Amino acid sequence: MSEEKAAELTALQAALAAEHAAVYGYGVVGGRIREGRRTEAKAAYDAHRARRDALVREVRDLGGKPVAASAAYALPFPVPDSAAAVELAAELEERVAGVYSDLVRASTDGVRGTATEALREAAVRAVRWRGGSVPFPGLAERAATPTASATPTA
Amino acid sequence: MPFPPPPRTLLGPRRRSLLASAAGAALLVGCSTDADDSGTTGGSASVSEHARARAASDSDTLVQRYDAVIAAHPTLAERLDPLRAEVVRHAAAFGGSGSTPSATATASPSASATAVPAAPSDALAELAAAERALADRRAKALLDLPGELARLLASVAAAGAAHAYLLTEGAK
Repeated sequence: MSEEKAAELTALQAALAAEHAAVYGYGVVGGRIREGRRTEAKAAYDAHRARRDALVREVRDLGGKPVAASAAYALPFPVPDSAAAVELAAELEERVAGVYSDLVRASTDGVRGTATEALREAAVRAVRWRGGSVPFPGLAERAATPTASATPTA
Repeated sequence: MPFPPPPRTLLGPRRRSLLASAAGAALLVGCSTDADDSGTTGGSASVSEHARARAASDSDTLVQRYDAVIAAHPTLAERLDPLRAEVVRHAAAFGGSGSTPSATATASPSASATAVPAAPSDALAELAAAERALADRRAKALLDLPGELARLLASVAAAGAAHAYLLTEGAK
């Protein structure tokens, strides 16, 4: 395998691991979030499952063995209520955005196009949850506190 | 380390109008066979340079649209200023001026040719459409670029899509 393909496979596996974590995380979100936003959480959960499955295929296409999900994940903070669930959902999207920006860099053609789309979707969902935007979604080195906001929806 | 500024930032006080025409020129270059432009013959370095300049001028033009809307609808300023500030940061990240003066657009053919709609909700919808169209265009352009620049462009395109969402959502 060429160096480029090896890097692409590594980035695909990292994206897959993040999607596994997001699927798990949205399970927690769904259990805590208030009724009014449950549909939105379910839609995000389904979207991440679909991305996860697509990544499994892409890893196999490159001859890799897809990383498995962990049995459980440590949450970044306690999630006792709906407000914390919204916070967790935003956090999950930001982490996913980070791995997809790396996948854009490491990949070409179709995989890069899909990663670009996935990054965009994660950024839009993060904004929906958080109510504010960040200038450079998925770029940890340029991370800043949210600067732009719409009406808070949490 | 910041990217070296393009030559036009050295042009001084008349920068804004010059910048606007530079943006127009960049659009033309994109569909011509200008022999001076290394983009057609050079390697990925010149392709990157070209794409960077294009991205910077696109963001500058978008800032001018924000300015035009804010000038026509001052009540939207509070809502639009943070988004505008992010677009300024995008322009800077691509090596643009990053400090486009806040004023109504003047010479830019793409920004000022369109009058700002009289209804604030229409003005917001138009900004949202501009953000979305640019994000779509960037998502395609980045497929042919070197990794690091593609990553930056993908992030900025995602931010643009998020802006479009915020502009559309609050207009309801």
